[in-house]
Amino acid sequence: MSDKLSKNELSPWPHRFAVSLVCATFPLIWVGGLVTTYDAGMAVPDWPSTYGYNLFLYPWQTWLFGPWDLFIEHGHRLLGALVGLITIGFVWSVWRHDSRRWMRGASLAVLGLVLLQGGLGGARVLMDQRQLAMIHGCVGPAFFGFGVALAVMTSNLWRAGITKPQTTPEMAGKLKRLSLTTLILIYVQLVLGAQVRHIPVTASPGTFRILVFFHLLMAIIVTVHIAQVYRSILRIYGSAPALRLPGYALGGLICIQISLGVQTWVVKYGWPAFLTESDFAAGHTINASSLSQSLTVTAHVAVGSLILAFAVMLYTRAARLFRTETTALGSGALMIGLAT
Amino acid sequence: MELPTRKAMKLSVIRHWFVSAVAVVALAGPMAGCSRNEATFNRNEAYVKNQERLTKETFSAERKADLDEVLSGLFGTPDRPIVPALGDIDVASVMDATKLHFAAGPVGRDERGRARGLYREHCAHCHGVTGDGGGPTALFLNPYPRDYRRGTFKFKSTPRQSKPTHEDLKRILIEGIPDTAMPSFRALPDNEIDALIHYVRYLSIRGESERSLVQYALFELEPADEEANIEEERLFDLTSGNRSDRAAELREYVGAIVQKWLGAEAEATAVAPPSWLANGAELSHEREVELLKHGRDLFYGKVAACVKCHGDSAIGDGQTTDYDDWAKELEPTVPGALDEYLALGRFVFPPRNVRPRNLRMGHYRGGRKPVDIYWRIFNGIDGTPMPALSEVLKQEGEEKIGVTHDDIWALVYYVRSLPYESISQPVAVEAAYQRERQ
Repeated sequence: MSDKLSKNELSPWPHRFAVSLVCATFPLIWVGGLVTTYDAGMAVPDWPSTYGYNLFLYPWQTWLFGPWDLFIEHGHRLLGALVGLITIGFVWSVWRHDSRRWMRGASLAVLGLVLLQGGLGGARVLMDQRQLAMIHGCVGPAFFGFGVALAVMTSNLWRAGITKPQTTPEMAGKLKRLSLTTLILIYVQLVLGAQVRHIPVTASPGTFRILVFFHLLMAIIVTVHIAQVYRSILRIYGSAPALRLPGYALGGLICIQISLGVQTWVVKYGWPAFLTESDFAAGHTINASSLSQSLTVTAHVAVGSLILAFAVMLYTRAARLFRTETTALGSGALMIGLAT
Repeated sequence: MELPTRKAMKLSVIRHWFVSAVAVVALAGPMAGCSRNEATFNRNEAYVKNQERLTKETFSAERKADLDEVLSGLFGTPDRPIVPALGDIDVASVMDATKLHFAAGPVGRDERGRARGLYREHCAHCHGVTGDGGGPTALFLNPYPRDYRRGTFKFKSTPRQSKPTHEDLKRILIEGIPDTAMPSFRALPDNEIDALIHYVRYLSIRGESERSLVQYALFELEPADEEANIEEERLFDLTSGNRSDRAAELREYVGAIVQKWLGAEAEATAVAPPSWLANGAELSHEREVELLKHGRDLFYGKVAACVKCHGDSAIGDGQTTDYDDWAKELEPTVPGALDEYLALGRFVFPPRNVRPRNLRMGHYRGGRKPVDIYWRIFNGIDGTPMPALSEVLKQEGEEKIGVTHDDIWALVYYVRSLPYESISQPVAVEAAYQRERQ
């Protein structure tokens, strides 16, 4: 397995496709989040067709001016199809321009993942299973993270390399381990969040309580880990510009995410009982399906995925910058393993 | 290369195992429940227990199975609701089959693009598929989501023990209930609100019928007599020769409940304006001060006795240890009883005390319009300790202890003025009131 690239392999196309994949997947996650927020998963009862029409031939007037849940569900399908096409483009460009065998394997893995995700979405509709919607919601961020990893691995930073940060091997090793642990914890937190969000109406109140408890506990654990990551990056501030962006993004996004989490609870269930004597809590009426409610709840989902994306970026960049013989060769394989 | 310390290694191992354990739980979780089949209605075990304790009888497993079968025959399932056939009774006005179809079942659209599953989309996460207030989120909410199965609704224009009108339920759905998790569904179109109202009535009538049939089985049917080798009389025995008589009898029970709902519209309390506003008259400042003083007298007086629960300062700190009717059914004040109820399982929650409203805040759960507050005072709040002053209503000039229509309006004026009255510096007449009360 070679990690070296010939001149011919310095084509920008794999990276362009990978970045396009990431850019198209993020809105897809938003729209997917809206599908759940508006409970629109079954707005179109058939799949892969839409009310008997080919996906791409469904009358645009009905789509744009029909019911809102149909608009977002069909929009989600169209955007999903676009992501699928970009993935095919990515596979083509990698096989055309990139001779790294593991990268070719990764390109096939991401294609497999997008097919699996599409299939899960279809199965959710055909079987009308909300649990499949939950799994579909968990695979989405994994795909997004995988796309980010591929974007890093096809970038100039990965291929040409940059100056290694001036730090001790212990510090480098710690940062790599910490960023990997943080990445896994964030994904587990997303899965817990998906379970809270997709709780079946037949579930017991006790189950929901346990899920919320673990989601909150994990929020604290993730926040502590991100704070540690942030501190570690500050220590090597001057010599690791490639880690600054994901590190700072994680720090900022976790603050936004915690705030969105609190807001999500308030817009869905109101203020906690101990605040009931406050004027703002006593006078607060929840507005179901309001724009503010939908955007807040969906933003909490989307920012969760964005945090995962930056954690992936941080880990892959750290793995590359502080590479040893084994990590340099194995980080790509690890990302494939994590994603699949 | 420096080796990690023993402590660091231990911490690393703990972290590894913790992450692995949580990951397994979190990732395995989505798979759980994939085999879940059609949604079902929960049996009202708490009420069965309540009646067993009351009658000292046992509601056998066979009878429970009968009860489920009868209810399923009359009302169908959450996915396929049935409107019970009750002869001449106009059941469709209360629960229309088309509207029930619209609101019931899993969320989605049918082949013709018509919405389905409105109840599960908007209500079931809190109120539960059965309408028992036992949805997944229930334990986090305070107050608990309403259990419809008693047929008791708090904020309505009709008297206590009466059913709410269509408009009452619509008002709650549109306005929501401040300071609770009950949202406003203002964004929903009228036909969806209408379908939800029909479905809530359906769940309520089903729940009331269940309670009624439990009573019927315990009070009307013959229990087993082991000494005489007689088996207990079944609630509904398909092999019995008199099953059509029994079916007719059971339908009568359900019919009586539906009749109460049908009568709700006629029972709404019509509210006339106070005499001082009759014929378009305007209220002078002096008269308003006088009315506030009168309202305050009533608030602290012995007839209305609002002070007893809402407290001397009207901040809701009077009687704070009472329970609402839903909680009282779990006999929270009877030693040992509550444990029996809580042992019934996941849909019976620890009772909470009902808190009288803090009237100084100016936020009222049942609505802030004068007529809303009039209804609360006149009709009370069903299912809670808030009494109805209609019980002591008297005509103007009548010589008996009670309150007149205008007195209630004076109370409404006073209650609405409370958020603007300083507790530390009440109106100038405070000293006089203190003397009177002493």
